[in-house]
Amino acid sequence: MERRDLLKLVALTALSPKVNALQAAAACHMEAASAKPQPAQLKLQFFSEEESRLLDRLMEMIIPADSHSPGAHAAKTNFFADLMVATSDDAVKQQWRDGLRLMREESDRSSLGEALRKAAANEGNPQNDLEQFFALLKQMTIDGYYTSATAIHQELEYSGNSYLPAFPECTHPEHQG
Amino acid sequence: MSQGETFDVCIVGSGAAGGVMAKELCEGGAKVVMLEAGRKVNLGELLSHKWPYELPYRGFRGEKQEPFYQGDISNSISYKDSDDVGVDRVRILGGRTMHWNAVTLRYAARDFKEWSTQGVEEDWPLTYEELEPYYERIEQIIGVCGDDDHLEILPAGKHYLPPIPWRCSEHILKRATAAMGIPLIAVRKAVLTRPYDKRPSCHYCGHCMDGCDVASIFSTPDCMLPKARATGNFTLRENALAREILVDDEGLAQAVSFVDTATRTEQQVKARIVVVCCSTVESARLLLNSRSPRHPGGLANSSGVVGHYLHGHLGNSVSMYLEELQGNKPSNQDGATDHVYIPRYNHLSGKSDVAGGWGMQVNYQSYMFPHHAHGVRGYGAGFKRQVRKMQPGYLQMGSFAKVTANQKNFVSVDPSRLDANGIPTPVVHFRFSDNDRALWHAANQSMLEVFSHLKGTVFPSTGKAPSGFASHEVGTVRMGKDPRTSVLNSYCQARDVKNLFVTDGSCFTTSSEKNPTLTIMALSMRAADYIKDRRKRGEL
Repeated sequence: MERRDLLKLVALTALSPKVNALQAAAACHMEAASAKPQPAQLKLQFFSEEESRLLDRLMEMIIPADSHSPGAHAAKTNFFADLMVATSDDAVKQQWRDGLRLMREESDRSSLGEALRKAAANEGNPQNDLEQFFALLKQMTIDGYYTSATAIHQELEYSGNSYLPAFPECTHPEHQG
Repeated sequence: MSQGETFDVCIVGSGAAGGVMAKELCEGGAKVVMLEAGRKVNLGELLSHKWPYELPYRGFRGEKQEPFYQGDISNSISYKDSDDVGVDRVRILGGRTMHWNAVTLRYAARDFKEWSTQGVEEDWPLTYEELEPYYERIEQIIGVCGDDDHLEILPAGKHYLPPIPWRCSEHILKRATAAMGIPLIAVRKAVLTRPYDKRPSCHYCGHCMDGCDVASIFSTPDCMLPKARATGNFTLRENALAREILVDDEGLAQAVSFVDTATRTEQQVKARIVVVCCSTVESARLLLNSRSPRHPGGLANSSGVVGHYLHGHLGNSVSMYLEELQGNKPSNQDGATDHVYIPRYNHLSGKSDVAGGWGMQVNYQSYMFPHHAHGVRGYGAGFKRQVRKMQPGYLQMGSFAKVTANQKNFVSVDPSRLDANGIPTPVVHFRFSDNDRALWHAANQSMLEVFSHLKGTVFPSTGKAPSGFASHEVGTVRMGKDPRTSVLNSYCQARDVKNLFVTDGSCFTTSSEKNPTLTIMALSMRAADYIKDRRKRGEL
């Protein structure tokens, strides 16, 4: 719903005794919720600059930019990962530190692309530490990217979390039982 | 509230049961004080409409639910020798009515007669016919949307609001249920589909479980408590964490001691009647912590049953991405979470190897996050494209199955493990029965069978064993016919202490597959009528 539609609804509601004033309150609340958030502080708390750069490249390879929308790099998914790991227990921190080291070592032997391909070789049934780290890395990338403004609004074109005066019933003939 | 004042009734807890009780008794002329361990959260304080990227951890650490779990409620519990269960204890004015999906289903006649119909557990000490008028009254007060589907297993009310319109995926789902010969009906929820009782209709944001910021979902602070307050008979004490119910020389309840958690002071409130509505685990905890020479094993516990027969629901979930909706232009599908419901049907095919059944709730998760992304293999441009393509096809289903009420499953209190206010904390001891395991597997299989009639990608449950209780725990201060296996009579009145009532989910004798809240409210209203009647007669 556009801002002008919301304001129009609020105005109409205020004039109509038949419509509960809370409807207007809901619309106002939605307007507030739709406001763009302040940019987060992008300051590393756990990873080193070098680790974060490596993470950023890996995450962009997992969810890259394409013609439809930006990818994990633009969504700053590496900073999400940094926050989540920084606020986890020591065992989790060690997993990430070790995992990135393994990726770096593997990359040094070939290339980062080859290292990622090797890490993803047995997805679903990881056989070694590198493959186990891929599961961790991919999960974090998914969680960070698909909860970003980039993914929600551009990639998935999600249009919910909004105020609907009525829910549109499916009337497609092809969907009816 | 003046010092030394004696109220007619003290209600402990402000959730579904406490709210009904307060409204009914205040309107009946009783002076009521309500103790609530949490504080009021104004609708504007709820975080329901926050985007994930506006939350510190994108919502992965429960930030949206923080208002519901005040103080140390999440930590002040332990589990000992237990299977995979978790009890959900919220602390906020309104209790779980501030944090629920609002599915409001009546129990069927057979649900009160497990022994008579299936030869398991016990029959309740009351029948559906006795509770039916209260279901009807409650539904009219809170506003329930839905249809009368003429199903014996799911009795309907006479005053439903219009049902919620169906999504594309739900119409498609109807093909599968029709092929199986089972019903798919409009869900019955305490969600307003038109303005009602000075509350607005739903705005279909999909955030029911995060708290409804306009009170379109029923909650006690926005529906029951204003009515209680309007009588002039109602006093509310927030941040009042009950420590113990105190008794007189005859063993009758005479006061409730509590900690004012805001000022960290110990206080008491006197009352002629005490009604406990703290939710299943907390109510048992309060009674077990109320020990005295007259009640050495805890209040109203001469039977030793208080805390026992803990049970609830088995939960499971599967999802599917419908082929014919994949790749569609994304549209706003959030709605009011569930719009349809598959009632229990395993009883229709005659003799079953398992006791009890399951119902299926549909599409109760938000469409914002692509849950399947964790299940799609690979990475890179193809992975991203596949996730995007599948998302419009999302169809999710969860089963809720009955857990058997078993005396061996119980809540105790640990005097050596105190909460932040020095009150002994509860300990949960729970093991699933063979019937529970069989029912869980059967429910899981039935969801997969429904999906097998549709084209698309199915993501089965990753759970390998039952888990509970889906926030629907009940049964620790049960009512019953036999004083040896129950604490309360059919009016939720303690047999040992005639001026003590327990009307939350802990009073359930047994559980069905239906969500318990509507039955909790109906039982509480029936108990309120009983209290009013006995007060008039001078018996309480």
